[in-house]
Amino acid sequence: MEMSSLGGIPYYILEFGDELVYFSPYTVSLFLLALVFTMFAVMAKPERQVDIAFGGDAYYAKETSLQELRFRRFMAIACGFASMGAMLTGDIFNFTLFISLVGICNVGIVAAVKNRHVQNAAYQYGIVALSATVPLFGAAALIAATTGTLSMVELWSSATPAVPLVVKALLVLGVMGEGMAPFYAAKAEMFRAPGAPYVIMCSLSSLLIFLRVIEVVLVI
Amino acid sequence: MIIQRISRIISNYEMIMPLFAGAVSVLFVVAIFSLPLPYYEEQLYPKTIDPASPLNPYERGGPPFTQVTINDQYPENSPTAGYVTSYLTPFSWYLANTTLYLGTTIVAHPGGILDEILYNTRGLDTVVETTILFIAFAIASYLYRKG
Repeated sequence: MEMSSLGGIPYYILEFGDELVYFSPYTVSLFLLALVFTMFAVMAKPERQVDIAFGGDAYYAKETSLQELRFRRFMAIACGFASMGAMLTGDIFNFTLFISLVGICNVGIVAAVKNRHVQNAAYQYGIVALSATVPLFGAAALIAATTGTLSMVELWSSATPAVPLVVKALLVLGVMGEGMAPFYAAKAEMFRAPGAPYVIMCSLSSLLIFLRVIEVVLVI
Repeated sequence: MIIQRISRIISNYEMIMPLFAGAVSVLFVVAIFSLPLPYYEEQLYPKTIDPASPLNPYERGGPPFTQVTINDQYPENSPTAGYVTSYLTPFSWYLANTTLYLGTTIVAHPGGILDEILYNTRGLDTVVETTILFIAFAIASYLYRKG
């Protein structure tokens, strides 16, 4: 499949050493989405959870300590930067590196909430995200071994040998494992007060890396 | 009915990890049996073996501090590519000039072994290294949660 028919004709190709970063309509729109939501994470304040005592008119408001707020905000911003990098890069290995960075940041966002239930979910997600790096980097290594290049620009030209289907499947499976954070966040009921609003970054980064890997797999 | 049962199993988030691991294992078995075994000949880092060199088998070609050959993807972007690949400290440079065994000494180090594995597997060692990290994490987290 042609690059131009899928992601649009690149506006600009940034030549950066032995790699290329390219700005096509598709990658730029995903990049802007990541940028806007990172700005939201910078500006937003954490939600407070309110528990109402049943049978009376008392309620408890849970405070988020400044230390916890700082850590969660840092993780959300780092996750935003990692997804911005994953959106724009034109190199398979850099792509897998950014994806695994997104996964690690998502573990941090989920694990920052001091709640036993949430921490158990974060532990399980951490194991999945770590084991997903094996098919992810394995796919990058196999692409280098079977075609001799890691550049998406080289791979979408017909001069290089075709990437085997099973290697593409490994890449997609790796991205699936890294992007599984929203499932665990939903299971731990984090989308309400305990993790909000930073947990939105989990969902957004997962959505973005899924959208990008579809483009990558169809192009190479 | 069967969907109900599957969804009940998957709704327990502790089941996701075994399912994912199973999928990865199946895909790796398929990959091992279906991939063509010969590698692409024209690699990014060409290498020649020179048994007479004191840096053998670590010899990357060319004298230190000057350029060696790397097959760039975009040579026009990296005019200085390859300058650092044959870097030697003054002490190593002295050893290489006086003995014949610096290369085997480098290869006997863990870093040298990793470098040789990296070269000879064409990057597949990234899989081995992530697996090592993963196993270390699994052991550490098991001990942490146990204690």
